[in-house]
Amino acid sequence: MSTMLSILARSSPRHLPPPTVILRSFSSSAATQQAVPTESKALNKEFKIYRWNPDEPQKSPELQSYTINLNDCGPMILDALIKIKNEVDPTLTFRRSCREGICGSCAMNIDGQNTLACLCRIDRSENKDTKIYPLPHMYVVKDLVPDLTLFYKQYKSIEPYLQNDNPPAHGEFLQSPEDRKKLDGLYECILCACCSTSCPSYWWNQDEYLGPATLMQAYRWIADSRDSYEAHRKEKLQNEMSLYRCHTIFNCARTCPKGLNPAAAIAQIKLHLAAD
Amino acid sequence: MPARHSGLQKEVLALYRRALRMVRTKPPSSRDKFRLFVRYSFKTQASSVSPRSVSTVEHLIRRGQRQVETYENSAVRDCWVSQEMRDWEAQERGGIRP
Repeated sequence: MSTMLSILARSSPRHLPPPTVILRSFSSSAATQQAVPTESKALNKEFKIYRWNPDEPQKSPELQSYTINLNDCGPMILDALIKIKNEVDPTLTFRRSCREGICGSCAMNIDGQNTLACLCRIDRSENKDTKIYPLPHMYVVKDLVPDLTLFYKQYKSIEPYLQNDNPPAHGEFLQSPEDRKKLDGLYECILCACCSTSCPSYWWNQDEYLGPATLMQAYRWIADSRDSYEAHRKEKLQNEMSLYRCHTIFNCARTCPKGLNPAAAIAQIKLHLAAD
Repeated sequence: MPARHSGLQKEVLALYRRALRMVRTKPPSSRDKFRLFVRYSFKTQASSVSPRSVSTVEHLIRRGQRQVETYENSAVRDCWVSQEMRDWEAQERGGIRP
């Protein structure tokens, strides 16, 4: 285009008419231009979100209401939260990272159910609001961010790594397909803390009871055929509080956003300990 | 008669004591700074809330405990003291010795 203009400019240097631009279009374009975009009706949905600011500790926590048009928002709760943070209220605080249920950052209590905001679809009924709280019975850092320090400390206390004093002379540890199968349904846990914070037993005895998430990982290492510290691991659980505060309530299995069953793993540990 | 403290008050005092004992584990050259930091943060925050707002006090205790835990690490050898803290200290001294 610029070369053509320069050629034109060279051929008629003095009285250059204003350049008229002719747009060529596809035969289908005309119809598209005429079509009026269908104005979809706004689907306004109310979200009530728990707010608490540590900078003003005297103010008690409150539910703040936000109304979002679902027709220009993604399908998941996390999309709505991000939209609120971007467009309505940048002070809203929550953890998020992968937005696909792999990292476990966005665990929160949505409509009374602990789940990952990125895996939870928005209920599209207009007349019902959605309530979002942080994970229950955890100390709150800010808004939807719970303090998981204790949870991680408990995870650390079960020594979640391979321990074996006799490593193979060369190469890696070998494992039969059957032994590998024992770890299915255990290793997928992303430590989002949904199960532990849904367990009433964990609510009342957080300081001593390890909780379903941690116990499932404890079993993951007990069940591992490559690990030789099984006796040591079991010994550490052999007391009143760490393990036996599980009363098979099954809230953990019901709430797990990854569809795992921590209660079954805990039952397996109990079986192992009873067989000792 | 010794002052009778509530459980919450005892917790607060225990936190202050723990923080002051943390100061003694630091190298002598930076102890004054640590002491000022501890006293300033404790006194200003303690006087900012009513003793009756229990949940606020509990929150401040938890936050303080986390903070002291970090400072108790032996790798922490020095801390920074702001002009605000020095002004506060001068004022405190002025109040005691007119």
